[in-house]
Amino acid sequence: MSRNTMIVAVAGAILMLATTAKAQFNATGTTTLSVNVGSDAAVQISTGSTTLATTGGAFSSDYTGQTAFIYKIRTSAAGGTGSITLRVTSDFNAGGPSVASPPTAGDTLAYTCSLTSPGTGCSGSINALLTASTSVATFGSNARSTKAGNNGSVAWTLSNDPLYATGAYTATVTFTISAA
Amino acid sequence: MPVRPILERISDPLILLHSGMKLLRSASGPRVPPGCFLLPLLVLLPCASAATGSTTQTLTATIQPAAKLSVPAAVNMTTTGGKFSSFQASLAIRYRVRTSVTGGGSLTVQVTSDFSPSGGPSAGAGALLYSCSGTTLGTPCMGTQVAGTHAQTPVVAIPAGVCTGGGGACSSADPNGVTINFSLADDPDYLTAAYSAQLTFVISAT
Repeated sequence: MSRNTMIVAVAGAILMLATTAKAQFNATGTTTLSVNVGSDAAVQISTGSTTLATTGGAFSSDYTGQTAFIYKIRTSAAGGTGSITLRVTSDFNAGGPSVASPPTAGDTLAYTCSLTSPGTGCSGSINALLTASTSVATFGSNARSTKAGNNGSVAWTLSNDPLYATGAYTATVTFTISAA
Repeated sequence: MPVRPILERISDPLILLHSGMKLLRSASGPRVPPGCFLLPLLVLLPCASAATGSTTQTLTATIQPAAKLSVPAAVNMTTTGGKFSSFQASLAIRYRVRTSVTGGGSLTVQVTSDFSPSGGPSAGAGALLYSCSGTTLGTPCMGTQVAGTHAQTPVVAIPAGVCTGGGGACSSADPNGVTINFSLADDPDYLTAAYSAQLTFVISAT
């Protein structure tokens, strides 16, 4: 590019910038504010820990307890889905109940589900597993909770087996919610 | 050549040329006035063309209050926090303003077209909030404001007797600027979609 051509180009650019800058200033101005709202989901366990207890006589009833949670969800309007699942991610300590290796076949950590709309709670009693996630709730397309979140709960039942050594046992259960 | 015809035609250099006389010129300067040219020949002829005079002209400029602004054509709100955290966006506005000593000015915003399509956020329902910061001239809006569809809400209050640029009595910044920080709650009840709204900013000065 020759010197003259370059000077002309620079002058043109400056002129263009000056013209553009001047044109941008007016007594009023508008802007378009855009937001893309996608599917999303969140769950919060309402209680830090859940205590399982037996209320009946000696070995006449299982240990029971309830875990409450709040969920927020928004699934796609077309073809959207969602779910809440749980999984025992840390089994009870040794000597007592066990999800993976119960002292007696048939000993289980089972649960039932209760959920407010728009979710559908799990059906019947389900055995919690260490090896896989199990269903707590399902959601269809265009499922939307309230801004504050909707309520749900899981009612636990742990077999009361005389083979359990006396002691305090804890397990960790992880809840997962997803939306698409 | 008689003196009288020369005197009658002295103001016309072309005629002087026709009379066989040559105009005197400096090497690169302007032409010497015809009257001066004749001085060596006609001693009694006054150097009328070299006379100077002066007069005055009063120039009056009335400087009126004025204000203009510039806003980006579009801004996208995004969420950077956790699940269902608010959508955020910052909008930088530039403005130039001059107010009278007894006047003032303002920069305001109004949602002139609410979010669409329906089923999502609504500024009319008070979902769109904003705060103002980084003002280089004037006072930014206080705290958190609700951007409404029915009325202009404040962004910057501009005091009397100020102007943009140049320093001194005016601001050193040119143009002046303010940043608006928008916040939109991510309500799970919103339908999944892309929504947009139009905001109109107005600046005025008196």
